[in-house]
Amino acid sequence: MPDTASPDPTRRSAPPSGGAILAVEDLTVAFGGLKALDGVSLSIAAGEITGLIGPNGSGKSTLVNTVSGQLPVRGGRIRLHGGDVTGRRPDRIVRAGMARTYQIPRVPPTLTVEEVLSVPLLYAGRDRHRLPGLGDAASIAAFCGLGPLFRRFCGDLSVTDLRRLEIARALACAPDLLLLDEAMAGLSHEDSVEVMGLIRNVHGQGISIVIIEHLMRVITTLCHRVVVLNNGRLLAEGAPATVLADQAVREAYLGKGFAS
Amino acid sequence: METTLLAQSLLLALTTAGLYAAIASGLTLEFGVTGIINFAHGEFVMLGAFLTYFLYEAAGVPPLAGMLLAGLAMTALSWLVFDGFLSRVLKQDEHNQILATIGLSILLINLAMIAWTPDARVMHAPPLLPALQLGDVIVPGNNLVVLLVGIALYAGMIWFMRHTRQGLLLRLAADDPQLAVLAGVDVTRMFRLSFLIGGLTAGVSGGLVALILYVQPLVGVDLVMRAFAIVALGGLGSIGGALIGAVLLSAAENLTATFVPGGGSWGYGVAFVIIVLVLVVRPTGLFGSERRA
Amino acid sequence: MKTGLTRLLPYALILLVTLALVWIDKPFWIQLAIGVAITAITALAWDILSRTGQVSLGSAAFFGIGSYTLAIFEPLIGLTLAWIAVVVVCALAATLLGLLTLRLRRMYFAIATLGFALSMQVLVVVFPDLTGGSGGIAPPVLADGDPRWQLGLIGLLLLAAVALSDALLGLRFRPAFFMIRTKPELAAASGVPVVRMKIFAFIVSGVLIGLAGACYGGLYGYVVPTDVFTTNWSVLPLAIATLGGMDTTIGPLLGAIALKALEEVARSVIGGTGYQVVYGAVIILFVIAMPQGIVGLLRKAGTLAGRRTAAGEKKKERERHA
Repeated sequence: MPDTASPDPTRRSAPPSGGAILAVEDLTVAFGGLKALDGVSLSIAAGEITGLIGPNGSGKSTLVNTVSGQLPVRGGRIRLHGGDVTGRRPDRIVRAGMARTYQIPRVPPTLTVEEVLSVPLLYAGRDRHRLPGLGDAASIAAFCGLGPLFRRFCGDLSVTDLRRLEIARALACAPDLLLLDEAMAGLSHEDSVEVMGLIRNVHGQGISIVIIEHLMRVITTLCHRVVVLNNGRLLAEGAPATVLADQAVREAYLGKGFAS
Repeated sequence: METTLLAQSLLLALTTAGLYAAIASGLTLEFGVTGIINFAHGEFVMLGAFLTYFLYEAAGVPPLAGMLLAGLAMTALSWLVFDGFLSRVLKQDEHNQILATIGLSILLINLAMIAWTPDARVMHAPPLLPALQLGDVIVPGNNLVVLLVGIALYAGMIWFMRHTRQGLLLRLAADDPQLAVLAGVDVTRMFRLSFLIGGLTAGVSGGLVALILYVQPLVGVDLVMRAFAIVALGGLGSIGGALIGAVLLSAAENLTATFVPGGGSWGYGVAFVIIVLVLVVRPTGLFGSERRA
Repeated sequence: MKTGLTRLLPYALILLVTLALVWIDKPFWIQLAIGVAITAITALAWDILSRTGQVSLGSAAFFGIGSYTLAIFEPLIGLTLAWIAVVVVCALAATLLGLLTLRLRRMYFAIATLGFALSMQVLVVVFPDLTGGSGGIAPPVLADGDPRWQLGLIGLLLLAAVALSDALLGLRFRPAFFMIRTKPELAAASGVPVVRMKIFAFIVSGVLIGLAGACYGGLYGYVVPTDVFTTNWSVLPLAIATLGGMDTTIGPLLGAIALKALEEVARSVIGGTGYQVVYGAVIILFVIAMPQGIVGLLRKAGTLAGRRTAAGEKKKERERHA
């Protein structure tokens, strides 16, 4: 396993140039005759926080589901750390160092926070001490602000706490790359600010992050780089300011009338 | 000789298919709307058969009228069962839903055994129609009645679903319960309605059972197992598929019984092999569309 | 959460009752205990499988396969190897059924497993040379027909089932199983090999039921297909585990004792025909009045842990509404 990134406490400034951690080449995914992803090629730089945006139905979720092994690939390649993981099972991809969160995590209500976190710790098969100070369930829970709720049943948690738990669960996979699927959706402003802080802290552990997000505020404050999908194709990529000023991106998001 | 045998076998299969289709379409309607498989559906058929039998043997009520009365009685019983009991398990976990109707099935079977003994009875009704002779092939009159009534029940259900307002609401509740709630449909009422229709068809089918088979507390078990296979073939929740499934199953059964040595003793084994194969190859049934599981 | 004492309770209960009955040597009680133990094993096995979200109506298949495998292999390879054959054949059958039904959810899974169990009954009739057809088959008699030793052996098997159930309720398996049940994708995204775990649960469950079936066949040394492949053996485990309390070890034990006791009472009051009416009545009452089973009721009656679990269940119900 190459050492992909050193901890980067300086937040957005100067991402380390560790090369690509995830590379997607000419990826095509189809449901029946409908191409949800049509020859998408992109790479995610190690050590960065990358924003993945696009209008509804643009293929963001399909991309996350595919690279995490939960949808079959029709064509193309997915490489993690340069190694081919195309068509691998989801649990194998977790072992290879990529974890993901779910927008609506359905955890068993009769399990405690501790028990949920024990699952990746036992099964993800990663070196527990890769992330210093995050080698056991209690410290991961504390890191994610779930310390006081450690022995609570998931059925009793609030929506925000369930989001934290979902990030904690993914963190317990000790990933090199973390895909966050709309971690802030439906949260209040205060709660989303807190979760953004948590994401920064996770990044501070040396974990590369991909965020799917609708809130531009989140993208502009957190991300080093932005990738835009539209109609299953890559529309633009680059620094947030440049990409969001791009004419084509504005049209895709707001419609032609607004963009001009 | 072979052709006569084949023709006879297929024609008899067609008449039993009418019965199977009527039973299976009630079962599949209930499942399609409520998501619950009614394991006690066969017991409603059994009770309908007993009712038709006793009405004829004890009170001289003609079988066709007896069937109708049995259908109404089973509608009433379905109402009682749904409101008193099944409506409470709709929101529970699947094992409780499965257990609920299995419990009902066990209860009804054993009550019938206590009341009427496990012995089989045969209704001695004269044929309601003359036998139909097609060349060398003879179709008994009562089999014709079963075919006609079965098809009528089935067609009635299809008509109700396609051409009435209640039918439209039922389909809506089946396709997307959440959307139905948003649209202001009283989903519980629709669930109840599906069980009432299921009970009606089961009761009338029971009369058909009394006419060509025998009357016995366990008769519903055999029939409902076949109905499962039919529903698996046609797609859980698809009424249209139930008829095709019924024809295919009864053809397969009659052909094995006629042409495979000892095939008669396979009984509804044919049905189970079909269930397993179909569900494995295509979980939504051979003719079913994608549906919530 | 669970003190050491309650954890030991099932083991103590089984040991004490078994030893006491062997000591007292009253045939009626020994037969009753054997019946309770065999159904309890099947219920525990069913519960283990259900923890991975696989609600089976196919237990009878394994029950019958167990007794038939023992009967068919014993004359060929001897008693010891025949018992090993029971384990191997049941494990293979469980793997096959598990793989076939892997993608089926909820009611589809239940119907497919039911179909599998009933197909087995037909298979027996179709190959009468091997299986004796509908006339039945003669497995070797268990413990030379001495009921006390029979109870002892079956009691040991029950202890093994309890130990397995407890082990699978430990931290290594319980959270992963429950996660597979609630959302398999989430389990996979946590590194759990979902398919392997589901098949593993199927094998443990199938082998336990098969061993129980082999013991059952060995009680009298004679079984007919309708004895062991009957739907009863598919429904009983589900009913007992649900009535006793799912996702626990003590639940299926309590359920088996309660239901068998009730059956005896009903048999003496109602007689041999229709006594199973009490099953129907009890099942309906339980489903309406206490869907969490006996254990759920006991929990509600007391402790803080009970209140937390109840809250969890309420949340679960809310989710089902959504």
